[in-house]
Amino acid sequence: MNNVFVRIGLVVIATALSVWIVPGIDDAVESVFQIIVLVAST
Amino acid sequence: MFILKRIGVIGLWLLLIFTTAVVTAAFKQRFEDGPNRVFSGGPLISGELYLGAEPDWQFVNDISTIELQLLSPAQSRRIWVASVDGKMYVWSGYMNSFVGQLWKSWPGQAERDGRVVVRIDGTRYERRLVRIKTGAVLDELMAVVSEKYPSRSSGAAVESGDVWVFEVAPRVTANTANTAVGVES
Repeated sequence: MNNVFVRIGLVVIATALSVWIVPGIDDAVESVFQIIVLVAST
Repeated sequence: MFILKRIGVIGLWLLLIFTTAVVTAAFKQRFEDGPNRVFSGGPLISGELYLGAEPDWQFVNDISTIELQLLSPAQSRRIWVASVDGKMYVWSGYMNSFVGQLWKSWPGQAERDGRVVVRIDGTRYERRLVRIKTGAVLDELMAVVSEKYPSRSSGAAVESGDVWVFEVAPRVTANTANTAVGVES
């Protein structure tokens, strides 16, 4: 069980760092989020 | 059965990654000079500060969105805009709905402290939001809005409180306590 929590933590940290550091990822994520919001609201 | 379980686990991992990415991107945007498309941004820093006479805002009817920043809290967002009789208006819909009350915090914040900075085509304007609850201008405004955006509303919706409309007024003429805020360079 502990192993699962460690994995979750590592995935969250790796994802957050990638979005924060790598240029363009945040914009791409926002685009996908925008599409989901648009689809959900129609 | 094993395959379904496996797909479910992979789906949960992907959901975790996407959720983390969205939260991080939204948080990161708070430190940027202005909003992006959906996520709120930080204070509007760049751009020349307009110091002249009150413009005829009719030109905003040719602009899809403006950037609007409250002073308290100092966060900015991209927002629809329309003009009637040379005055500029912004609005927020779904204010009587549960989702609206959950999602839209800026109208309430603007009612408490209406001082804003708007940035249009790279020029910043220090203004004040003044809520308009009644008046003949509302129907005219909503007609402009319906023509400009895929949105249908009416003056009655504004009067019922479902849509909150604000005039983006000059700070010095607004009927509020902090009318003497000067123009900073």
